[in-house]
Amino acid sequence: MWPGDERPLRFGLVDVVVLAVLAGLLGWIVWLANTTLVYNWNWGIVPSLFVRTDPETGGLAPNFLAEGLFTTLRLTFYAGIGAALIGLLIGLCRVANGLFFRLVGRGYVEVVRNVPPLIFIFIFYFFVSSQIMPMIGIGNYARNLPVDERWWFELLFGDRRRIDAFVAAVICLAMFEGAYVAEIIRSGIQSIPRGQWEAAASLGLSRFDRMRDVILPQAIRATAPPLANQFISLVKDSSIVSLIAVQELTFMASQTVVTTQRTFEIWLTIGALYFLICWPLSLLFARLEKKTGR
Amino acid sequence: MKHLLNRLLDRRTALAAALVVGFAGGLAQAQDTRQAVAGDSVIEQIKQRGSLIVGLSTFVPWAMLDKNGELIGYEIDVATKLAEDMGVEVEFVPTAWDGIIPALISGTFDVIISGMSVTPQRNLTVNFSEPYSFSGLRVVVSREHEGAISGLEDMNRADFTIAVRRGATPVTFAQQALPNARLLQFDEDGAAIQEVLNGNADAVIASEPSPSAYAAEYPDKVFIPFDDLFSVTAEAMALRKGDPDALNFFNNWIAVNWRNGFLEERHDYWFRTQGWADQLPQ
Repeated sequence: MWPGDERPLRFGLVDVVVLAVLAGLLGWIVWLANTTLVYNWNWGIVPSLFVRTDPETGGLAPNFLAEGLFTTLRLTFYAGIGAALIGLLIGLCRVANGLFFRLVGRGYVEVVRNVPPLIFIFIFYFFVSSQIMPMIGIGNYARNLPVDERWWFELLFGDRRRIDAFVAAVICLAMFEGAYVAEIIRSGIQSIPRGQWEAAASLGLSRFDRMRDVILPQAIRATAPPLANQFISLVKDSSIVSLIAVQELTFMASQTVVTTQRTFEIWLTIGALYFLICWPLSLLFARLEKKTGR
Repeated sequence: MKHLLNRLLDRRTALAAALVVGFAGGLAQAQDTRQAVAGDSVIEQIKQRGSLIVGLSTFVPWAMLDKNGELIGYEIDVATKLAEDMGVEVEFVPTAWDGIIPALISGTFDVIISGMSVTPQRNLTVNFSEPYSFSGLRVVVSREHEGAISGLEDMNRADFTIAVRRGATPVTFAQQALPNARLLQFDEDGAAIQEVLNGNADAVIASEPSPSAYAAEYPDKVFIPFDDLFSVTAEAMALRKGDPDALNFFNNWIAVNWRNGFLEERHDYWFRTQGWADQLPQ
């Protein structure tokens, strides 16, 4: 399934033993949970947290956990694009010839990478964005949007009244993940042998063309696995913005836990949901890698 | 000589004129400041925006999500009536408890109405209105200690573990009243009571009505050893500092609604009855 793995899969004795041990382990955990954990299980509650009947139309509508899931997906999507752009820019700064650009790149990466994400979000949101967001005026724009234009706005960005926090969260996450992407891109560019630079130079290409046409395509290919890794971890890291009142999946779940007291049903479901988002992404990236690897 | 006198007089008039102008200027400035303070008040911003933005943290039965994902609870009733009386819409911003005061200060919402009890420490950072609710802490203890606990002093031992919600009033209370007991802190009360049910902690201290609800849900695991309510606290709305107009408005709104019985009636409904329980997801 993965590149370079051409041997046919065989199911041998070792696999049977490993599977049996795993099943035993799982059974033991379930047994432990049942005997030592005092808890009234009620899985019946879970579907109603995702789907509700709209009291006005009588049809089905997404409930809060589904809304939280959509917010997480939107958040990850925009922050992923932002992180890729910031990462590329800073990564190129890191390998630039000019000392100024190198200092900027290095400074950015070291500051962001060596500060805990939680503190970064707190500082960025409460000190920076509360000053910047009113200046941009997107909050007012969203608030005064005509009724017939609201649907596309809410489809793209969620609740229009909470757009300030959402945009701030996207920028925060993009800046944060951008620093890691920058390091991946830098290492990718530096892993390209000198000969490639020299060969491209001997063709008479400018530095910009050498970077764009020769070095970067190879570097991106070399860095595909860590980049994919970073994107998947972005999906999970996005839950830290719940601290700044962005109603994403983890935040909605913790609210639901408080209301319903169904701690384990809800957290197990949320864990499974994150897995269901991240696993297909892993498969997708593995596929892309295989394609570009050829 | 006359010349000199004239010059002196001139100087005096000039001085007097300067004083008058200066005084008038001072008056004008004072008026400007007053207008600026009134104009900057969050009350003006709310009226201009047409909506009151309320920060809160979910907590039963103050603010909870119902089956349809709508917020219900005592606080929701209070904030809704408050906005209604101001003639504006109400918007709720559910926020993690740890971030709720920074979010108020940075302007994410106009006011915190979230069962926040008045403490001097918090009051250094935010302004509090008059209280719109009073509540107390109750102790709920594991059945393992049945018969052995008749007062707080029986729990003040190094081998007694108490689970509480982080950053809330019970922490302060436990540290003062039970200095010898071991304290475990959790993000929410549900995790704290779970720790007792699992046998890793001996008691939970929390604001009513949660302890009574736990005792009712797990009657063979936990019980309420004594009826005392501890460290009765006053819950108030929290506002940004430096806004006397807003403080005056919220204070008087609360005073009016104590007198007309609205606050007491709603409080009784949410804290004394269970009529709302079937609105929750189940």
